This record gives sequence, C-alpha cells and structure tokens, in this order.
Amino acid sequence: MTVVIVDDEPHCIDRIVFLLRSYISPDHVSCFTTAEEAIKGIDELRPDIVFLDVRLGDKTGFEALAAVSYRNFKLIFTTAYEQYAIRAFKLSAIDYLLKPVEQEEFENAMQKALGKIARESLYDRIDVLLSHLSADNLPKKISIPSKQGYVFLDIAEIVRCEADVNYTHIFSKDGKKHTVSKPLKHFEELLGQHRFFRIHNSHLINMDDVKAYDRSGYITLSDHTRLEVSVRRREGFFKMLGIH
Amino acid sequence: MRGLIALVLILIVQPGLNAQHLHEEADSLLRHIAAMPPNDTATIDLRNDYVKSALFADPKDSGLAKFAQHTLATAKKTGYNKGMMMAYERLGLIYQYTSSNPYKALEYYHQALSIAKSDPGLIVYKWSIEGNIGLIHYEQEEYEQALTCFKDILLHNKTLELTATANIANVYGAMERTDSAIYYYREALANPQTEDNPAFKANLYSNLSLMYGKSGRTKEAMASAKEGLSLTENHGIEFVRPTMYANAAMAYLGVGDDKKAAYYAQQALQLSEQQGNLFLEKTAWGTLSDVFKARGDHERALEAYLRFSSLKDTLNNQNRRVEINRSQMQFEFDKERAIARSEINRQETIRKAYLAVGGVLLLTFGAAFFFYRRRQAAMQQKKEAEFKALVSETELKALRAQMNPHFIFNSLNSIGNYILKHDNKTAYDYLARFARLMRMTLENSEHSEITLAEELRFTELYLQVESQRLPGRFSYDILIEDGLDKEHILVPPLMIQPFIENSIWHGFASLSTGGYISIEVRKDDDMLIYSVDDNGVGRSSGNTERRKKIIGGVSITESRISIFNKQRAGGGKLQIIDKPHKSGTKVEISLPLQTAF
Repeated sequence: MTVVIVDDEPHCIDRIVFLLRSYISPDHVSCFTTAEEAIKGIDELRPDIVFLDVRLGDKTGFEALAAVSYRNFKLIFTTAYEQYAIRAFKLSAIDYLLKPVEQEEFENAMQKALGKIARESLYDRIDVLLSHLSADNLPKKISIPSKQGYVFLDIAEIVRCEADVNYTHIFSKDGKKHTVSKPLKHFEELLGQHRFFRIHNSHLINMDDVKAYDRSGYITLSDHTRLEVSVRRREGFFKMLGIH
Repeated sequence: MRGLIALVLILIVQPGLNAQHLHEEADSLLRHIAAMPPNDTATIDLRNDYVKSALFADPKDSGLAKFAQHTLATAKKTGYNKGMMMAYERLGLIYQYTSSNPYKALEYYHQALSIAKSDPGLIVYKWSIEGNIGLIHYEQEEYEQALTCFKDILLHNKTLELTATANIANVYGAMERTDSAIYYYREALANPQTEDNPAFKANLYSNLSLMYGKSGRTKEAMASAKEGLSLTENHGIEFVRPTMYANAAMAYLGVGDDKKAAYYAQQALQLSEQQGNLFLEKTAWGTLSDVFKARGDHERALEAYLRFSSLKDTLNNQNRRVEINRSQMQFEFDKERAIARSEINRQETIRKAYLAVGGVLLLTFGAAFFFYRRRQAAMQQKKEAEFKALVSETELKALRAQMNPHFIFNSLNSIGNYILKHDNKTAYDYLARFARLMRMTLENSEHSEITLAEELRFTELYLQVESQRLPGRFSYDILIEDGLDKEHILVPPLMIQPFIENSIWHGFASLSTGGYISIEVRKDDDMLIYSVDDNGVGRSSGNTERRKKIIGGVSITESRISIFNKQRAGGGKLQIIDKPHKSGTKVEISLPLQTAF
C-alpha cells in the first residue's frame, strides 16, 4: 500500500503519519507540501490512498486534483474550516477529515477507504466535485451512494425528496426512485442553494417543478404528485416563489 | 433641488361655492329627503346628492358611510341602476377621502364602474369614475396604472381631456420623468379649454417651470415662470400665487438672477406664512438658502437652511400634514370664490361646481395623501432598518460573549499543561473537542435559528470540555422532557451556554469540588423553557465582577429574546432566581415554542 499526504503544514502531515502508524510504516508514506510536487508525485507513485489538503499555499488541493492524470486511488480531503468545500464534498460523496483530526473520525475514514466501494467511480465523483467548485453555470450533479456504487443525478432532474425515517427517497424526472441511507435534512442542506425547499417534515421539493398551488395548501409538481405545504413553511414557500 | 412639484393643480374653477354654502345645500337636501317617499328613485338621487354635498361640507362626518350604504341597499331593492352606481361611487369617495382607505375605495369604484359599463344609459359616467380610480393609483404611487387610466380617459372623453392631460403631467412629474411631464404640461396649455381659465393656466405654467428647472433647462423654466407670473398678477389669482412665486424664485435662481430669486422667495415665504402652509414655507426657505449660498452669504444661507430643515421635521409629523392640507383646502375654496364671483349663473353651475370642487378636493387630498404615504413608507423603512441593525448588533454581541477569550486561553493553557505532563493523548483529545466546540460556535452563530437538538449537542460538548478542564469541580445533568421533538423545535443558537459559563466561572469559583449544574428543557403550553440551576455562591454574595458579567449576559440575552419575540409574536422572557440562603442561582429562559413544520 502506498499513501500520499499533501499538506503545506508539516505538523498536519505528522499528525496523519502518526494516526496511520497502525496501518502502514511511515517509510511507505510520501508527503508533499506544494501542489506542483503533489501532481508530479501522484502521477509517479500511483498511490492507493491520498490525503489532500484543501489549502496549499496560494493554490488549492482542487487545482492539484484537476491536474493529475492518475486518479485511481482512494481520496480523503483534509480541511480546517472551508465551508464551501465541505458542501462540495458532501454533494460529490467524497470523504473528508476536519483538522485537528480526531482519532475516531480518522478510523472511520480509513475503514471506508479500505472498503470496496471507495475506489468506485472516483473519476465521476471528482468531476462532480470540481463542477461544484467552478464558477460556471453548467448543470450541476449530485453523487448518490448506493449498494452497488454511485448514481449521478443532474440536480435539475430531481423533482423531490421524501423522508422515510433515516432514509431518503429521491424522485427524478424520468420517474425513477433512488433510496439513500441519509436523513432528509442532509439533502435539505445540500440542495438548499439549488432552489430546493423543505415544504414539509417529509418533503423537500424542487421549486422549479412546482406547477400549481391551491388554496387548501397543496401543491402539484411536474410529475403530478400532490403534496401539502406545512402551515409554518408557507411564508417561506411564497417567498421562494417570489410572491410576498 | 428642493423644488417639490407643487401639486396644487386646480381642475375647473367654478364660482359661487364655499363651505358655508355647501352646508346650507346639504341641509336643505336633507330636509327634502325627509319629506319624500323612501323607495322613490328621485329620493335615491337626492340621497346621493346629499352625500356629496355633506362630504365636501364636512369631510369628518363619520355617519356618511352608513347613510350611503343605506342608499345603496334601497337602490338595490328597487333595482335602480343609476342609484346603485352613484351610491357605489359615493362610498368610494367616502373611503378615499375620509377614511383614507384606498383599497376599499377602489373596490367601490370598480362596482360603480361595472354598473356603468353594463348599462348603456350610464356609460357617460364611466370616465369620471375611471378618473377617480386613476387618482387613487396616483396617490398609491402606482404610477403606471394611474397613467393607463388617465391616458384611456384622454383617448375617449373630450370633456375630461384637459384634466386628464394635466394629471398625466403630474404623474410624470411625480415619477421624475421630467421630459414627459413637460410634454404633457405643454399639451394641457395648448388645450383651448384653458383659454377661459387663467387660474388653471397659471398653475400649469408654474408646474411646467418647475419641471424645466428640474431638467436643467433654465431658460425655458424662466420663460414659463414669467408667463405664469403675468397671468397671476393680471388676474389676481391668489391661490396660485404662493406656489407660483416659489417656483419663480427657483427659475430666477436657475438663470442666475438672485436678486429676483430672493424677492420671489421672500414673497412666497410671506404668503405661505400667512396661509400657514408649512410645505410651501419650507420650499421657500430652501430656495432662499440656495440664493444666499449663490451670493456667498453663508451665514444667512445656513440660517435659511436651518429653518428649512426644522420645517421639514415639523412636516414629518403625519397628523399635522393632514391638518395643513385641510386648512389649505379651506383657503383655496375662499380664493376660488373671489376670483370668479362676477360670472354667476347659480342654477347652471351648481352641478358643475360639485365636479370642480370634487376635483380640487381630489387633488388636494391627493397631494396630502401622496406625502403622507411617502412619509409613512420612509418611517416604515427606517423602523425596519433599525430593527435589522438591532438584530445584527445583538447577534454580534452574543457571538462575542460566547467566544469568551478567557475560555479560549484557559483551554489552550490546559492543553499546554497536558503536554508538559507528557499526556499527549489527553492533550490531543482535549484539543480535538475544543476545536469541535469552536467549529460549532462558528457554524451555529451563522444561523438565526437552529434545532433544539443542535443546541443541546453544543451545550453537552461545552460541559464536557469544561468538566475535563476542571476535574472534580462540578458535575452536571441535562434533563430533557420526554416526547420533546428536539429535531424539529427551532431555537436561537447558543442561548444556554452563557449562563452555564457563569455558573462554572463564578458560581463555583470558590468551590474546589461539589459544584452541580442541572439543565432542564421542557415544554409549558406553547413555551419552551430552559432552566439552568446551580448550587454555587449565588448572585448576592458574588463578587462585583460576577455581577457585572451577569448584567452583561442578561442584557444580551434579553435583547435576543425580545428580537425573537418580535419575529414570532411571542412572550418569551428571562428570569433569574436567587435561591434562598445563598444556595445558588436558577436561570429560566422561556421562548415561544416553534417547530420547523
């Protein structure tokens, strides 16, 4: 197993090397402190696991990631406090660790990285990640983990999400249903910036798919589903619709 | 720059009318009505006539709406279309001018309009009702709609052509689209109907001059002002004079003739003082201030400016505003009467006079209402801005209070201490928790509301970190009422922590062991209650630092609660109870309970 750690601060590298000690000898860990070195190093070493810091001096880990040609590894980002990046990690289902790294969190991340699914569709997930970090207006996707691997959905193609205890059913325009083992709140946080609105305890909807609203408090979506807007959510709902 | 459009534009000046007269008229109508059969169409007509006379004689008469409603009911019962239409129109007038309820007025006008449209015999009334609707839109600052109305009238009705043109010009003036306003004022002036109405004409010139001035066309402004002035002087049009002078002063100032500008401004000032027209007085002071400034007389310029701004403040009192316009209206009545006393043909003119006075009233009230609304909107905005500022200031203070630097440095010290003792693992664990706590503080304070579950997670973590830092000093319990929907109850972030901090840092400061904090969360009707109960030294025996700290924390929490109350229309409060025999302090925070869904 080859592990690469990219971080511009040596003490952060030391911490991860320390936490890795029960998995791998420090001699097999290669560390880089700049984006340029990292790009070269990853392409040469073809590592199994890469720990990549978001901020690398005046560059970012994303720039490094976009530039490497070898991407067949398990990727774990590390960050101290980059909220925008954390949202993008969640949307693309890419793992990350918050610094200072807690032992328990680290073990969880390693368990995942050593599992089968971690390498699955990494190219696509990285594309999703980079698209959320770029400023252009291209259609954005979301990575949805499933038992077999990952499903990638255009966010605009999602009509609604429905809570089912700790699971969420995602309904897309083509009539398909995807079930994910994450609570609805998770998607509410991720999709809130993409014109999604929680109209009800159990329902998160795409505002662009609202076709009708009637006075009894029900809306009709483009797939003809009729859903109730909770009384407390109505004011916010109208605000989203642009009716004040 | 201070030239506000003088909206005293008179429609059609008709003679022989004053308030006294209207009173007599109304009284005699009432006597007639009493003597007639109640369901007769002629009675209904008379009742409608009475409403209009009475409305203009005494706009404060609160019984009129009821009277008109009764007329409407009778007309409906007898199926008398014209009576119904008129009654609706009267109700519209009443709501527009006496109760200042434009929405209701609009509703009635539309009722009247639909009758007028459906009955070919009544179609002639359509345009005057449209005119009323247009004025409401104007007053409501819905300029586009007002323009649509007036332009429609202009296109379809010859008799109302001049009024409509002038109103279009006024609307454009209010919209600050001076070029369009100028065009329509000129159109109005070119209308032959103005020929035998010098007062109207003078007023048009006065307003036109103002518009020219605003668009920087000083020469044209001067020419219009001169036209207006000569009409005013030659015909002795008293009620146009003050505005005319005020506008002329600005025109003269514009062409650099500050001598004349000063003269007219002073005249305008004198006249408006006599009338008690504060609005005009303010404009005149404004112009004078500009005149003095242009002359380099800064002392008097300042003095004039101070008068200007103090009048502005006075005018900002909205009630006064309405009063002023009422008395101004009265004044204008009398003036009108004086101008055209010679051309008397009572029987013929009475009916037209109603229309005319109606027009005057419409516009005068319109002006009053216009400024009143504008003022109100400004007040509203100011209030909102103040509230927003209060919210952000409080949130900032709250954030600072939670990020107590003492806490941060004490935590860093303990980490250092673990390191010195070579207890690396504990040092790192403590550090990681501390980092998580900081992260949560930052994230939570970005939101104005978080879930109760989130708040409790933070509280628990804070207690963990502090009890690790001060081993054995205190223990704690968090008791949450069964069945409380933590994930869906929304609360302001980080509200409990300052009080826990207070217990730990001050309540237990002199204890080395045995401190105990009990935190309880429960529901009481529609309130959520947090209580933080400690067995510390209590407030009364606490040192001054503690007391200061408490006061600071209390006032921040109290203003946060009051913001929360306002946003949710609830009655949350903060209570601090000193337990007997100095056995500790109990803090209770109650908040209006709200769930996310």
